[in-house]
Amino acid sequence: MHQFLQQLINGIALGGVYALIALGYTMVYGIIELINFAHGDVYTLGTYFSLTILALIPLSTITSGPELALVAVAVILLAALLCGIVGVLIERLAYRRLRNAPRLAPLITAIGVSLILENIMQIWKGTSEVPFPQFLPDRWHTVAGVRFDDRSLLVVGISLFFMIALNLFVFRTRLGAAMRATAQDRDAAQLMGINVNSTIAWTFFIGSALAGVAGFVSGLYYGTTFFLNGYQAGLKAFTAAVLGGIGNITGAMLGGFVIGIVEAMTSQYISDQWTSVVVFSILILILVFRPSGLLGEQAPEKV
Amino acid sequence: MALTIVTRCALAATAAVLLAAPLYGCSQTSNNQQTGAGTSAPQRASGNVVKIGVDLPLSGGDASDGQPTANGVKLAVIEANKRHLIPGFTVEANIIDDAVNGVHSPTQGVKNIQSFASDPAVVGVVGPFNSNVAKAEIPLSNSLGIALVSASTTNPDLTKGPLAAQLRGANANAVTYFRVCATDDIQGPAGADHAAQVRKLRRAYVLDDNETYGRGVADQWAAQFTKDGGTVLGHDHITKGQQDFHALLTRAGSQHPDVVFYGGTTSTGGGLVRKQMADSGLGDIAYFGADGIRNDEFLRVAGAAANNSYGTVAAVNADKIPAAKEFLRSYEAQFKQPVGSYSASGYVAAMTIIDSIGAVVKANEGKMPTRAEVLDQLRGGQTFKSIIGDFAFDKNGDTTNKIISIYGAKDGAWVFLTQKNYAR
Repeated sequence: MHQFLQQLINGIALGGVYALIALGYTMVYGIIELINFAHGDVYTLGTYFSLTILALIPLSTITSGPELALVAVAVILLAALLCGIVGVLIERLAYRRLRNAPRLAPLITAIGVSLILENIMQIWKGTSEVPFPQFLPDRWHTVAGVRFDDRSLLVVGISLFFMIALNLFVFRTRLGAAMRATAQDRDAAQLMGINVNSTIAWTFFIGSALAGVAGFVSGLYYGTTFFLNGYQAGLKAFTAAVLGGIGNITGAMLGGFVIGIVEAMTSQYISDQWTSVVVFSILILILVFRPSGLLGEQAPEKV
Repeated sequence: MALTIVTRCALAATAAVLLAAPLYGCSQTSNNQQTGAGTSAPQRASGNVVKIGVDLPLSGGDASDGQPTANGVKLAVIEANKRHLIPGFTVEANIIDDAVNGVHSPTQGVKNIQSFASDPAVVGVVGPFNSNVAKAEIPLSNSLGIALVSASTTNPDLTKGPLAAQLRGANANAVTYFRVCATDDIQGPAGADHAAQVRKLRRAYVLDDNETYGRGVADQWAAQFTKDGGTVLGHDHITKGQQDFHALLTRAGSQHPDVVFYGGTTSTGGGLVRKQMADSGLGDIAYFGADGIRNDEFLRVAGAAANNSYGTVAAVNADKIPAAKEFLRSYEAQFKQPVGSYSASGYVAAMTIIDSIGAVVKANEGKMPTRAEVLDQLRGGQTFKSIIGDFAFDKNGDTTNKIISIYGAKDGAWVFLTQKNYAR
């Protein structure tokens, strides 16, 4: 039981990262039905932005708790902003002109953008592991025999905060309403006076900014990154998005946590080597038997 | 937001394609890619330049192993030219990276051998660094009749026994692969002995990266650790590109090991595993590896968690040998950095080829040597007087000089602990 709980913590922390990435996949899919395969790399780019910003801050002179928190918040917001801008640029330069092209064209473009981003990161920081500054004190807690540190708490806390914020944004603001309207019917939304182009750009901005947050969080959690990390993480987050019901925001969060926990439990009770096999088997099973995902609505097909 | 039939198919198709493809190749840094001339018969090249091909991982996580080894080769070439070791000829090194996306790549290694083969002036090759790369290269280099002398590949099956014969293919009896380092059937047990007898460790959890080298050395280490009275609690394999080891290490930790052994290189996860052991409550226990983690990259990736880690090297520590003093001095003067695990071995590997070329040229009265002649010379069984001691290549191509040195990581540096000669 104790072991189960310990793995649950591992799974939830990992799932938090997947969930944040999955949100970007699902929002973009929801609005333009594009699987943005460059999204995983925007996430790694978020880690790269974060560690670059952190390198500019004289961390050794900052020791008090509130100041460290301020640094963390500033870095998250900056990394999110930069990733958001990258997302908007990608949409503007690579996807907008292909919006009405056959579906395969933007999909291949997305893979191309993914390769471009990976190569940019490779040129930027090389092909070795890149260390992430460990600026938070190493503090451990033991609750009922289960051991965890501040970082796991932060990972989960930050992920949940941004998920709730996103939900409020999408369901309580005018821009959120515009997004939902555009997702439902682009032409009708346009007729109602919604600026579809800017709404889609905003969707990319928010999705990519969340990937930036995920990038920061994973840098903090692992203390290191690698220019190809976004590839695997992106695929798993994509699986999470499909599992939850692609296009469904709550589903993406749920899917992220489920995938994270499934990975940890597979490692504990089956074998670590089988984690990817189990995760991607879930993807295939979901696509075959419940393509609308756990929370996806069975809406009639659009013509 | 519903899925249309078309999207559903596209989804499934893309997923399938992306899952089937391993990490798709990005641009390969500084890889000299020419396709080879294939199986051209060894011809006598003209001119007065002989080349030594050098195939090592020079970028990414493997660079801290490959670069110092390549530097050793460069130094040998500089010296050969300065001291006119090959009368009438200038030696050049053609150095090519075999790392793709920062990790040694068997596919790239094979391309590099093809590239060497296409240049008739290349009469011998130093390399590769990693056993899985060697495993891919040996069948090709053997059929091409080009000598490979490795400074550091330690998997025993590359030279000995039926598996090695199988690798050589049609010419099972013709040895074209040589190495100047000891092998994992010695290195693994030497590390295990140190863990069990010197460190008094009893409960081991064994991990490996599932590669030729990593899996082999992990099996050897585990077998000896059991013989020494220790218990192996479990043995797991990690997967390529894996980033998260928390769940694996939590599971390992539940059995309360006092040592974790990792078979593999830093570039395949050796540093990350050590770093994440601290996150999973295993930060205080010992960490053992072999030569794959005994590099600067490990210290960099594991950071503060590197302390209490141990690594072996299947070669002598050059610092301890009076004959290597001059080498160490000129190495540091030339490259402005300390030597790596296999710098001296890289130098010696290149020198065996240079000596052989020199002997062939003298015997031929100054004619350009062929690959076959250099190979014959290497197979001759003569004793090489080298800076890491006198040795010869045995009938399998292995060195008779079998020394394992052991190191511990302390405060950001590898500290020499002990070494032992296992030559019988």
